[in-house]
Amino acid sequence: MNDDQSLLTDAAGRLFGDLALRREEDFTTLWTLVEEAGFPLLLVPEADGGFGGRWRDAFAVLRLAGYHALPLPLGEAILAAWLLNRCNLAQVEGLTTIAPRVEGVFVEGRFTGSVAGVPWGQEAANIVALLNGTLIVLSCGDSVSIEPHENPAAEARDTLHFERALAPNAPCGIDLTALGALIRTAQIAGAMDAALAQSIAYANERVQFGKPIGKFQTLQHNLAVFAEEAAAVNCAGQAAFAAADKYDGVAGFEIAAAKLRANMAVGVGTSTAHQVHGAIGFTREYSLHTLTRRLWSWRSEFGNDRLWSQRLGDQVIAAGAAAFWANLTERSDA
Amino acid sequence: MSSSTQISAPQSMRTFRVLPFTPPPGASGLRQQVRAFLADNMPPTDAPYRANSWTVGDREFSRKLGQAGYIAMIWPKQYGGHERHPLERYIVLEELLAAGAPVGMHWIADRQSGPLILRFGTEKQRMMFLPRIAAGELFGCIGMSEPGSGSDLASVRTRAIRDGDGWRVSGQKVWTTNAHNAGLMIALLRTGEPGGRQEGLTQFLIDLTAPGVTVRPIIDLAGGHDFNEVFFDDLFIPDDMRVGAEGDGWKQVTAELSLERSGPERYMSCFALFLEMVRRAGPTPDAAMTALIGRLSAEMWTLRHMSMSTAAQLAAGNDPTLEAAIVKDLGNSFEQELPRLVQAAADADLDLSSNEDLARLLALLLQISPSFSLRGGTREILRGIIARSLGLR
Ligand SMILES: Cc1cc2nc3c(=O)[nH]c(=O)nc-3n(C[C@H](O)[C@H](O)[C@H](O)COP(=O)(O)OP(=O)(O)OC[C@H]3O[C@@H](n4cnc5c(N)ncnc54)[C@H](O)[C@@H]3O)c2cc1C
Repeated sequence: MNDDQSLLTDAAGRLFGDLALRREEDFTTLWTLVEEAGFPLLLVPEADGGFGGRWRDAFAVLRLAGYHALPLPLGEAILAAWLLNRCNLAQVEGLTTIAPRVEGVFVEGRFTGSVAGVPWGQEAANIVALLNGTLIVLSCGDSVSIEPHENPAAEARDTLHFERALAPNAPCGIDLTALGALIRTAQIAGAMDAALAQSIAYANERVQFGKPIGKFQTLQHNLAVFAEEAAAVNCAGQAAFAAADKYDGVAGFEIAAAKLRANMAVGVGTSTAHQVHGAIGFTREYSLHTLTRRLWSWRSEFGNDRLWSQRLGDQVIAAGAAAFWANLTERSDA
Repeated sequence: MSSSTQISAPQSMRTFRVLPFTPPPGASGLRQQVRAFLADNMPPTDAPYRANSWTVGDREFSRKLGQAGYIAMIWPKQYGGHERHPLERYIVLEELLAAGAPVGMHWIADRQSGPLILRFGTEKQRMMFLPRIAAGELFGCIGMSEPGSGSDLASVRTRAIRDGDGWRVSGQKVWTTNAHNAGLMIALLRTGEPGGRQEGLTQFLIDLTAPGVTVRPIIDLAGGHDFNEVFFDDLFIPDDMRVGAEGDGWKQVTAELSLERSGPERYMSCFALFLEMVRRAGPTPDAAMTALIGRLSAEMWTLRHMSMSTAAQLAAGNDPTLEAAIVKDLGNSFEQELPRLVQAAADADLDLSSNEDLARLLALLLQISPSFSLRGGTREILRGIIARSLGLR
């Protein structure tokens, strides 16, 4: 980690930790603090008024967002700002989120249809969506109706309907699902580490049979496996973000591998965390669920195991066995 | 703790540190050199020998690797080494394993016997052994386990007793991989009081051709001969073949185990089987096979980055005991599960008694994969090490 990055992570860690304590407060208050700190423009070049960060900086920040179960669409906003910049569209005022799913038509600069699963669509000012290779920027004020929805972690995932809404647009050859998967991978890495830390702290504290339960070998081994899975996600996440730097966001192989590996780790992480905590972890009062419910939700978002194993499998099969190793090494060599 | 509590990791908790793998410039050129070398020199091997190939020995091939400068890559030139960067060595190792090259003859000497001598040995010992190891002419083996001491290595019983300017040894080592090919064993022996623990252990260099040494094969369940039992009957070891100070054996062995556990061989033992499965799947496999190939690729890609990160830790002079334990345990679980998954997903008519490459690779790996989570420290011992780093022990 270089000095710039540790300044960034120190600032992010402090802010997100503070916001985690205030998670019951209203959305706009919390979001304003993140926006004022400049985080949404993390990946926008300095010349264009942004922070000029690299994808690997975004990993460090979004991992912390996951660690603190930040109840805000920071990854989405970072991604939206990067996409606008990358497609030579102007940045827009207010919270800009992204649309995981789009249905509809875009003709003569106007969008008719709906966007679904939109993180905090109701609170957002704009939504960036990708439709048949065209990036469009919808203004939420133009929507004709909004259906609020929530994922199992109670994070807003709204549906918005539009009729002939005028939208700035540009051609865009980027896979939005993959980039969404990339940000979720960093969040999963952080939430896995946090659930691990919380489980270990609890295991050292909770006494049964006259000693801390963490002294029982079965628990030690289960937590060791949990730590292995958390390590795998963190390593995969860092490698995928490094590839995003190398390939300017278009790292299809690495993102597929990393999101799939992250999805695979969620099962071990969440089940071990809850097993170690016993009944207390199953309560609304205790904070473990702010992590585990997000992990279960994020495992589906921007591609479940089926989607990514198919896509990754397709890539490997298309290249053929003889090219597998050469491709793997070529992509990671400088 | 309420639902709006900030998570703070326990002070004593250590987790996997990720370090970027940054070899000196020219890494991909080095890969091409190794691939060209293999194209010219790799002996024609039968499919099953390309699996787990770091236990498959070929004297002639090891000598050629030595001549080409692919053994002892990071040792000083005065001992026959090539003063390359540790991450260049890593690149060469993974290329050799990916190709399924038979590197078992020199693997242990290059990985751990040589580095141990370099670090703790005397100048005389270095001159005596290192150049021959580097040349691919002298091979090594690890004399740690005994019939009564497996996981509990500190309970080693075989004693070395002072006798003039040397030591007398009677006793036995077991599971000694490569002892039937090796000229050199690094043995962990008890020089302190019988019944002692860590403190009374010392390492020695044992010439396996000396009188008083008997090597007997142990045939594994698949009919292979890789490991042995080694008996010492009133063997004399000159004191100048002691490595490090008397009583320092445990400390040295711990350093050695980090080298033993951290390499790419800990997740690549079944790589040949994976490739053969992809080859057989052809361009249009069904969805289940495609998904399995995707899943295994994701796991392998992740393990490779974890292994490279651990190599970078080692190269930076950090102690990667935790990272090595994590990569080995996760890697072993992966390579152990792979044969089962291939067996489950292969064509329903795949016949394990047939001569097809996939069948023969699978048949072999189903049988030898239980050893992956035993050799080099068992799964349970590794998880204990990880739990200690997490602050649970
Ligand atoms: C293919 C192969 C090659 C080998 N090559 C070498 C070699 O070259 N040189 C060498 O010195 N040794 C070698 N070994 C030996 C290897 O290091 C030992 O097998 C290993 O350390 C375990 O010892 P053990 O077999 O005596 O099993 P044990 O220690 O008896 O263990 C049996 C079971 O009990 C578990 N167990 C033991 N203690 C605990 C505990 N405290 N908590 C929980 N579970 C526990 C173990 O994990 C294991 O599952 C080799 C082994 C194999 C399989």
